[in-house]
Amino acid sequence: MKKKIFSVRGVLAICLVLAVAFAGFATYYKIAHWGFSFKPREGTEIWTVDAHISFMPTGEPIEVSLSTPRLGAEYKILSEDVVAKGYTVEKDEKNHRMIMKSGPKKNEQNIYYRIMLYDNEDVIGKIRDYNQPKVKKPVFASEQQQAMVEEIWALADSKKEGSDASKIIQLLNDEILEPEVDAFLPVKKSQRIMAEKIIELLSFKNVAARIVRGVKISEKRREAPADLMLEVYENSKWMMYNIETGVSGLPKNFVVFQRGGVSLFDVVGGRKSEIKFSVIQSAVSSFKMAGKRAKYENSKMFDYTIYNLPNLEQNTLKWLMIFPLGILLVVLLRNVVGIPTMGTFTPMLVAMSLVRTGFWSGLICFTLIIALGLLIRTLLTRLNLLLVPRISAVVIFVILIMQMLTILGYQYNFRIAASAVFFPIIITAWIIERASITWEEEGAHNATKQIVNTCVVAILTYFVISSSYIRHIMFAFNEWNLVILIVVMQLGTYTGYRLVELKRFAPLIKE
Amino acid sequence: MWDYFKIFSNPKKFRERGVLGMNARNFFIIGRNNKRSLYPLVDDKVQTKTLADRININTPHKIGVIEHQYEVKDLLKIVAGHEEFVIKPAHGSQGKGVLVIKQFTGTEFTTASGKKLGFNEVYQHVSNILSGLYSLGGQYDTALIEELVHFSDAFQNFSYQGIPDVRVIVYKGYPVMSMMRLATKESDGRANLHQGAVGVGLDMRTGHANNAVSHNMPIAIHPDTGADLMTLQVPMWREHLMIGALAYEMTGLGYLGADIVLDKFRGPMMLELNARPGLAIQIANCRGLKEVIKNVDKHYPQGLSAQERVDYVLNHAE
Repeated sequence: MKKKIFSVRGVLAICLVLAVAFAGFATYYKIAHWGFSFKPREGTEIWTVDAHISFMPTGEPIEVSLSTPRLGAEYKILSEDVVAKGYTVEKDEKNHRMIMKSGPKKNEQNIYYRIMLYDNEDVIGKIRDYNQPKVKKPVFASEQQQAMVEEIWALADSKKEGSDASKIIQLLNDEILEPEVDAFLPVKKSQRIMAEKIIELLSFKNVAARIVRGVKISEKRREAPADLMLEVYENSKWMMYNIETGVSGLPKNFVVFQRGGVSLFDVVGGRKSEIKFSVIQSAVSSFKMAGKRAKYENSKMFDYTIYNLPNLEQNTLKWLMIFPLGILLVVLLRNVVGIPTMGTFTPMLVAMSLVRTGFWSGLICFTLIIALGLLIRTLLTRLNLLLVPRISAVVIFVILIMQMLTILGYQYNFRIAASAVFFPIIITAWIIERASITWEEEGAHNATKQIVNTCVVAILTYFVISSSYIRHIMFAFNEWNLVILIVVMQLGTYTGYRLVELKRFAPLIKE
Repeated sequence: MWDYFKIFSNPKKFRERGVLGMNARNFFIIGRNNKRSLYPLVDDKVQTKTLADRININTPHKIGVIEHQYEVKDLLKIVAGHEEFVIKPAHGSQGKGVLVIKQFTGTEFTTASGKKLGFNEVYQHVSNILSGLYSLGGQYDTALIEELVHFSDAFQNFSYQGIPDVRVIVYKGYPVMSMMRLATKESDGRANLHQGAVGVGLDMRTGHANNAVSHNMPIAIHPDTGADLMTLQVPMWREHLMIGALAYEMTGLGYLGADIVLDKFRGPMMLELNARPGLAIQIANCRGLKEVIKNVDKHYPQGLSAQERVDYVLNHAE
């Protein structure tokens, strides 16, 4: 006899382990691959980067080409789009350039390239590349110049710390430049010139470096020129450097448009050409983005999840997914704590109504309905009606009470009463009927106790199912419902004492 | 704050005393010993009575049964020749819908409280029973008309109005625990412990009181009559136990509760059986049921007749 139960528990225990393992893995997978998170309402940030190219046509056929971000580990591309009226647009996949062509034009031309990016994760600015790049050895015009470079390096080595690139960038950005450095640098110090000078200095040490152009994506960016960074080849990796601070690593939210020698953009048949970047940030729910992410992974699995359903169905399921947890709570409160309630799942249904009505207004309104209902039910008792017509009469009375409360609530601008309509009519009627019978058979004390118990369980359930945090988790990681199922079944084999029995049977152990 | 938790006792102590909890009762005892298909035998008082008659268990004699509305008009024919009788719903519980007629003259019915009723009122009552007014689920019911029990005077001082009855818990055919339930002013003549009735634990060998509780707390005297509860002795104890033991043979339920009343003339009579008897009996006896049940499983002989089982209990019960 005893062995049988142990085997039932054993099987359930194995199921539990499997369910937890499965749910754990699924949770990990969803976070890692689909970008789900534990926090509700945390959408995925989407950055819309607009590159605005403007120029004056010279009257010749126009060809504009723009280096574009490539699919990399740094971010994922949601969409890219070119707005260029009267241009044919081509994408040069190999060189990652957008090419826009048109016949001669007259007025100022504006071409927009828009790219939407997400998952712009920090990859610490490292790109592995095992092809050792060739370094162009600097050709010095004079020995004096070579000596100057050597001197600068000596200064960098003695005064600054870090990698070669870091040292030299720091030295070149000193507030008060060393005389040698000052002499080396031209008077006009644009970002580009500085970058070129750094590359030149690095090449002296046989370190390969290249210019990187891109956009630092921040909300404030409006029509700003491209940012410039330096990539230095170190230990088989291209390391990104900030040319103003010498800090290595890709700054957060930096989108690379172009690398190395190629131009960021070219305009043939135009003059006064300019490129400006604007950035807009928006957030989209993680669930919407999950499908896009799954596509990158070629994962068919996503098609068979709830997140791929239309919104209406998703919302319904989101509502349903919270139930198992509420049920678990009811099972715990009944079988482990031992709180007797009216009807097994009545408290849960009441809790669901409370979610819709709001806590206090719902509670007050519910109490009002029950109190009025009980009053009417007492009057019905005197008529000695048969059960089915009697409960039907109570149902109709409940409907009338709800109607009355709603109308009064509206007329007197008393919001609480307006929530009456959200309570399940039949359930409410049954609570009244059961309470009334209990009242007659076991006295007012017991009836009140049962109603209070029902409300307490309903309130506890309410706090579980109304938490947006818990709701989000139960929806996003719905595999945990499987775990709840097994736990509920496990509780079906719980034969220990209920908490209330520890009080009830207390006289038994008092000697 | 921790004081609040002191109202909860250490479950370990309960285990040591063999206290049976609700979950364990449902899982180990009812789940394993009581087949669901057997429940109707005890839930329907008409069936219970028919079975009891077959196996010679003493119950109030059946006068008649009314199953359909069109039979209600035959009531007078059924009760003809009986001066007193009881009309009760077959699926009723806790005495709901029970109409006790102390005197019937052929045209007028006098109830236990002295109220005089006409035929139409009694007719209405029977009709209500059939419509399910007194069965909790609201299902259609049957009206059972049976002899009035003439309560023995043995417990006159021990009960405040109401009917004192003996509840015997029978496990695998062995009566294992018993108590007497005494109505109080507070319980309004009813014998339910949670409504304030007094529970008196009875010694299984002798039928003598060994402990008494009211609202879970030990008491020595009846709160209304002042009777010394420890002097309570149930007469015809062996016959009481026999009813319990036979109820096992009759229903096949491995765990049941038999409610027995003592008739002045006919001795102990079974009123009803319960397939899910409650656990308050442990408190009345100040004793754990699990401990006793374990003992039955381990040491009590199997395959005995009802008589032999009762004798075994009378000689060996602790």
